[in-house]
Amino acid sequence: MSGTVCACQENSKEIEIDYGLLDKIIRDDYGGNREAMIMMMQAIQQVYRFLPEAAVEYLSQVIEVPTTKIYEVATFYASFSLEPKGKYILSVCTGTACHLRGSGGLAKHISERLGITPGKTTPDMKLTLETVNCVGACAVAPVVVIDEKCYPKADIAMLNDFMDRLNAE
Amino acid sequence: MITFQSVIITRTTPMKVLSIVLNGKTVTAKMGQTILDLARENDVFIPTLCDSPALEPAAMCRLCTVQVIEGKWPKFVTACNFPLRRDAEVVTDSPEVRQGRKLIIELLMARCPTSRELQRLAIDYGCDLGRFSPLNDDCVVCGLCTRACEAVTGRTLSLAGRGTAIHVDTAFQKASTFCIGCGACVQICPVNKITMEDVDGERRIILHGKIASRVKLPQCTSCGKFFGPVIDLKQVMERMGEHLIPPPNATVCPDCSRRNLAIKLGKRYFEQYGVFEEEGQADAG
Amino acid sequence: MIEATQTANPTEVNKITSPDGLKLFRQELQSRHDPNAPVVLVCSGTGCRAAGSAAVVDKFKQVLSGTGWNGKVLPLAKHTGCHGLCSRGPLVVIEPGNLFYQRVTVDDVEDIVNKTLLNNEVIKKLQYKPANSKEVIEKASDIPFYAKQTRLVLKNIGKVDPTDIDDSILRGSYSALAKVLTRMSPQDVINEVANSKLRGRGGAGFPTGLKWESCARQEGIRYVICNADEGDPGAFMDGALLEGDPHSVLEGMAICAYAVGSNRGYMYVRAEYPMAVKTLRIAIPQAEALGLLGENIMGTGFDFKVTISTGAGAFVCGESSALMASLEGKVGRPRPKYIRSVEKGFRDSPSNLNNVETYANIPDIINNGGDWYKSYGTERSSGTKVFALTGNVNNIGLVEVPMGISLMEIVNGIGGGIPNKRKLKGVQTGGPSGGCIPVPHQIPDINVGYGKLAEVGSIMGSGGMIVMDEDTCMVEVARYFVNFLFEESCGQCTPCREGLIRMLEILTRITQGQGREGDVELLEEIGKFTNNFSLCGLGTSAANPVLSTIRYFRKEYDAHIRDKKCPAGVCKPLFHYDIDPETCTGCGLCKSKCPVKAITGEKKKTHVIDQSLCIKCMECYKSCKFRSVKIM
Repeated sequence: MSGTVCACQENSKEIEIDYGLLDKIIRDDYGGNREAMIMMMQAIQQVYRFLPEAAVEYLSQVIEVPTTKIYEVATFYASFSLEPKGKYILSVCTGTACHLRGSGGLAKHISERLGITPGKTTPDMKLTLETVNCVGACAVAPVVVIDEKCYPKADIAMLNDFMDRLNAE
Repeated sequence: MITFQSVIITRTTPMKVLSIVLNGKTVTAKMGQTILDLARENDVFIPTLCDSPALEPAAMCRLCTVQVIEGKWPKFVTACNFPLRRDAEVVTDSPEVRQGRKLIIELLMARCPTSRELQRLAIDYGCDLGRFSPLNDDCVVCGLCTRACEAVTGRTLSLAGRGTAIHVDTAFQKASTFCIGCGACVQICPVNKITMEDVDGERRIILHGKIASRVKLPQCTSCGKFFGPVIDLKQVMERMGEHLIPPPNATVCPDCSRRNLAIKLGKRYFEQYGVFEEEGQADAG
Repeated sequence: MIEATQTANPTEVNKITSPDGLKLFRQELQSRHDPNAPVVLVCSGTGCRAAGSAAVVDKFKQVLSGTGWNGKVLPLAKHTGCHGLCSRGPLVVIEPGNLFYQRVTVDDVEDIVNKTLLNNEVIKKLQYKPANSKEVIEKASDIPFYAKQTRLVLKNIGKVDPTDIDDSILRGSYSALAKVLTRMSPQDVINEVANSKLRGRGGAGFPTGLKWESCARQEGIRYVICNADEGDPGAFMDGALLEGDPHSVLEGMAICAYAVGSNRGYMYVRAEYPMAVKTLRIAIPQAEALGLLGENIMGTGFDFKVTISTGAGAFVCGESSALMASLEGKVGRPRPKYIRSVEKGFRDSPSNLNNVETYANIPDIINNGGDWYKSYGTERSSGTKVFALTGNVNNIGLVEVPMGISLMEIVNGIGGGIPNKRKLKGVQTGGPSGGCIPVPHQIPDINVGYGKLAEVGSIMGSGGMIVMDEDTCMVEVARYFVNFLFEESCGQCTPCREGLIRMLEILTRITQGQGREGDVELLEEIGKFTNNFSLCGLGTSAANPVLSTIRYFRKEYDAHIRDKKCPAGVCKPLFHYDIDPETCTGCGLCKSKCPVKAITGEKKKTHVIDQSLCIKCMECYKSCKFRSVKIM
């Protein structure tokens, strides 16, 4: 969700776009059907870990939807990123059950230790911090998700451990 | 197979005409007519902000909210897009409605305190302008510019982001190369926060203090003057509905042609406030 | 990267070409099924998976496939959907015998195989004991958490492998669809559903039969849409249904399609449920391969194709018109509902949208009749409801109960009461659109139903039920929900967009000790305005948590604003901890728990907290057995 100056595409200048792969996604997997645009964008993001401007422009040409409309969709839905994400994506669940068990404090701790706010990536591009609204594992709250794997009953010690190991990499 | 619509018709009146009690006075309405339309026909004033005769209603500002009673209970609906389909009672100015409009204006003034239109409304509704801390002096998120752009070419402006971060924008916040410089967005903005300037043969549309689009202007081979692009008015008319825009006058130069078109787009909106700019764009406020 | 859809080897599977063919197919499965053969059912619901159940299944499969099995029949290890008692996971149930094991780890697997499966020996340490009791309960069905429920819609979850359609067919899946296609007209189906008085389980409670009736009457192509965008934080019922018994939902959609005259279905699943999407991507092709979905279903000429569409992280897409916009590849901005989506919805065409749980109820209603369904529940709220019971309660998990059940029975009888000797303060239902019900102090009890919950300022909602104890600050709860909606609001209409940020400003100030006289009145004014003037359901219910907490917990707001105190001990600037010298025994437990060494004291002497070091982490407060740490 961007509302400030978009520095997002600076990094994308180095990204090599594989148009053949984009064709496969857009035309083969989704039949060029603009109703599936959101899923096409998710598939493209899966490849590049964000939505490069050049890929958006190509998508715009193929399915004949103006780039401004694709940009509108990319900035509306929380799962899309116009900035490259880090190697690891750490999502702290902020659902009610997790919140009542202190997930807010966990997010704050990571923020303070790494110097980034939720939605942002560390300068060394190792970690992106995000918050997610309830993954449905309320019984083992608070939950932290790292690269689609759920970590139950997360606490500060576990997070410190993860961040220490990350530093060592 | 009986369709839903025909069931309604047999229940009310046989000739697709409805009986509506509008602020205590009984009037007739057509099936499907909006409350706003009916009110204007009967000289009842309902304030609007995001409404335009050239565009489909969006009901975003909520300023035109009124109360309608179709069955037992009154409900709050927006007049601009609520279709009357049964006999009903409509109250356009109840205390609850006025209270809500007052809040809308106070909240929007915190987004754009310098808007003349909002200031006028604030006086009408007795707004307390100290209640909410100012957030900005810019867009009120009425969506008119993006809807107008969509009606013309649809390639430049959109409403990006969501929630409080929602804002009018171009793709990737870069100056658009698709804009044709028609100026519809400039003319239609009710708070005059989109401006246009022609500099050195280039037309610039300025939004949120940044250049949203640059359009190279052609230069007259006769007099050397740069002039704005000729809009494909046929395309515009097709998109907006011929009955709303009169046919273009071929003897009028592109400048005046564009201005006339834009004035028609915003005509009814400007008129109700007695604001009718004769020259250039309405940025004096 | 697109996930390849898995199929059940379509070339080897013969399609079922008539409804009788389905009966024969099921009979064949029954003849091959030995009810006495041991089966190990390992829960793979989200909670248990997070606690490591995937490794448990794998280990079972590995151990059981090894050579040297001395038993009569080789047990089968299956992964299933959510068993329900999530707080005790990973869960394993062994049939026959319904033996219940909790908190099973990979290290326990060999023991279970050798002792229980081979020698019928029960492993005591893995058995269920209620909180505050040492008596084990052997069978799952005897555990009060399960015994007191009425599991109709959840009946298959925990018993079937959702990635093996044979399991579901064996338990009756698609038999209702077969009945509908042979013995009922579309109007018959609508009448039966209307007779059942089933109301939409997504939250609004609109009569399902009436919705289908209106859709059927429209002209044009009809669409059947399933709303699986379960966005309420703390609700995971629909996720469990899709992951645990997808065929009940698909069958319900197909029956709806037949009733309203549709051939196209869409399942809109939120992006945060990748497991549900994965399960559906296996289940749908399996059903199509057998001729139970897709073209020419069971040879009757009826087509119904279901497409999966995913969300991308927007709570507002649970609103029906926003969902349909998202299905069209657009931003999820709600449209005004003056024209209902049954008339003009997806692609401006008549669309029937229902929640996952609503569809899941349909097959049984068809098979057993609307009267059967009405025998559960109350006059105005028939049938059962699945709730996700979470928060400060002993038994956290999924529960299904008849409408009209007492709320305290859910909290105490099924939920097992409040842990850590705390007192119940209230129950929140309906998520961010609902309210807090102040049981038991201000309202002794309430029978759960659509009307009753609305009367007390809450809503049924989709099923999230959050139990709150005395350590919960209700002002902070209101702030939490307003913050949630503030982030999720689409932003197009003034009241919701501006109202939420202003309410959030005020609530944040209050929780930080900067509340002012008049703040509560202003919250009420903005709240009522948002409820009346917003464009969609998100906005028109956004103020409910605020208004309901003001209604029932005004004293807490006053304490925050006037006294700058947080009585519940949550808002850090507004309280501190002190150890009561009268009751402190000097046991030293708090001192050992304190992460910043702020507590000092000798053994058997009163301990003291150094306020300059205390970070208010709550550890001492939570751990003191004598309740000597006081909130000041």
